[in-house]
Amino acid sequence: MIRRVTLLGHKDHGKSTLIGNLAIITGSVTEARINDAKKTSKKLGLQFEPGFILDSFYEEREGGLTIDTTRAQIKYKDSAFEFIDVPGHEELTKNMISGASYADVALLMVSTKKDEGIKPQTKRHIFIAKMLGITKLVVAINKMDAAKYSEEIFEEIKHDLSEYLSKIGFDRNNVAFVPISAYTGEGLIKNSKNMSWYKGATLIELLKKMSEKKEISRIELAVLLQGEIGRDKKIVAGKVVSGVLNNHSQIMLLPGKELFTINDIVVRGGSTNNAVYGENVAIVLDKEPKNEVRGKVLVEKDMKKKAVREIVAMIFFIRKISGHVSLLINGSKIDCMNIEIIKTIDIVTGKESELKIIKPLGAIQARIRLNKEVFVEDFQEMPELGRFVIYDNDKFSGIGVVEVKK
Amino acid sequence: MIIQDIKELEEKSIYIIREATNNFKNVAALWSMGKDSTSMLMLARKAFLGKVPFPVIHIDNGIDFPETYKFRDELAKKWNLDLIVAKSEIKPEMSGFACCGANKTVALKKLMKEKGFDALIVSIRRDEHGIRAKERYVSPRNKEFKWNYKNQPAEVWGNYLSELGKGGHVRVHPLLDWNEIDIWNYTKQEKIPMNPLYFSRNGFRYRSLGCTHCTVPIKSNAKNIDDIIKELETTEVEERAGREQDKEKSYVMEKLRALGYM
Repeated sequence: MIRRVTLLGHKDHGKSTLIGNLAIITGSVTEARINDAKKTSKKLGLQFEPGFILDSFYEEREGGLTIDTTRAQIKYKDSAFEFIDVPGHEELTKNMISGASYADVALLMVSTKKDEGIKPQTKRHIFIAKMLGITKLVVAINKMDAAKYSEEIFEEIKHDLSEYLSKIGFDRNNVAFVPISAYTGEGLIKNSKNMSWYKGATLIELLKKMSEKKEISRIELAVLLQGEIGRDKKIVAGKVVSGVLNNHSQIMLLPGKELFTINDIVVRGGSTNNAVYGENVAIVLDKEPKNEVRGKVLVEKDMKKKAVREIVAMIFFIRKISGHVSLLINGSKIDCMNIEIIKTIDIVTGKESELKIIKPLGAIQARIRLNKEVFVEDFQEMPELGRFVIYDNDKFSGIGVVEVKK
Repeated sequence: MIIQDIKELEEKSIYIIREATNNFKNVAALWSMGKDSTSMLMLARKAFLGKVPFPVIHIDNGIDFPETYKFRDELAKKWNLDLIVAKSEIKPEMSGFACCGANKTVALKKLMKEKGFDALIVSIRRDEHGIRAKERYVSPRNKEFKWNYKNQPAEVWGNYLSELGKGGHVRVHPLLDWNEIDIWNYTKQEKIPMNPLYFSRNGFRYRSLGCTHCTVPIKSNAKNIDDIIKELETTEVEERAGREQDKEKSYVMEKLRALGYM
């Protein structure tokens, strides 16, 4: 099992440096790549920059910033991690979202330096991660060497940030703080003598603990359909996102409530009697579906839930929207008829208000009317069927998660 | 090198390959007869009930190894592949960056225009190169084949649907998550036929395969897949160390990819 960790945090708070140095310290990167980073650092007249192991674009090295997300695998003792580096700049939030959406756990970097500390962008990243479904967070208070390894400064940042975290709904037990220096390597895999006041676990141990995957135990069946497999419209492709799909069972297609019997299930090239969570299936149905199946969901035949034309959702916008808005939901694009704002959330203060405006890099809760029915679930209950991407005139504009009242 | 869960990798690749054929009208795949693109064909067969549903393209500069041609013809027959061979010219005065950039990319451009493919499956992996690690699973290329790496499309929660510029195409990367060692574990598990050049003869083997002009073998006694897996568990050498075009100057891979190289 590989543990996927996304970095979070304001630019220049040390995200790429941390991954680069961790890769070196744990022996997870070849000499050739380290030498390449060393050579480039020298050429640019810099001290050795471990971040260059990840920032491989010319523009990233010259400009000293991460432009796009990348990944690095790191092995520590018996655990394998995949670190997802993301850009810290506001205008590159789109790339940050793209990277972070694949993670199991987040690692937030906050610099102790006077003019750095907790920034609006620090909070924005936390908010986005929470929306993406990340519930566990390790906060690395970085550049402790620049703060003379001061316990007070560590505690001060911890205190200020904790307040925000609980305001936006992070469970205290799912957040851990650790003092480190990404550059000197202190606190990453070994506690530092310079911070003997810190009695907690090292960064890597905390990440390991926080990224234990929990078993998915939902029982009700849901298969999200991708489309047809070939010319035979009776054979459809999909992914089991909940429950178990059994051969010869009777199932219902939503929207539309068409009923089918399953004649065969193929997983990874072989016929099988049942398919479980996460498996991509080819399903041989007893008859052709009436319409295109992409974006539809297969459920148990006597399931009570229905497809809907109106959803309530939390939405984060990366830009203002103006024109033709559509949602990419369940893999298919559906036009938006109307967005009625219920409330606005200031993601820097965590405060809610009645204001009815959509701000770039802001969030709202809204009631959305669609021009077509869709089958959705509450994001917290079944993330695969409760999330969407927003397009404005076909331009990526934000992400949303569905809220279903119980 | 980290060994990953093959089942998980397989599931992801199958999903991506199916996304390609579901979202684009005219899909093709590049097949270099190397270990990665051959494994990708195996995955495509699994995704589509035993038959690769799209044409596979060999950009042939006429100077691939004889073993490679033989392997191509045998497997194309065995797996009933719809093989397209696109001849690319080779100019003797060129090598490395100029050669890959000019010859292979030009031949591919010509073929894509002729056939009107709108999606091209390319079997690159993130662990091969820092620049390839920056790729999306589905990545647009414009009419001139250029990769606008400074403004890549969003790819959230496995939604790979990206907008297409007019006249351009997308590159689909189903093997992005795989490591070199995973490919060999998969080859072993599925008994995928492999080009014999990967296995050691007289103390040398090819670890990464290109054409005869720019590829050099590595010192190795790995005579079979188990030996290769053992070798990779401890190696300190980069996989593409024997590939001339990666080495010339810094950022050469970035330039090549920006120009449309695979």
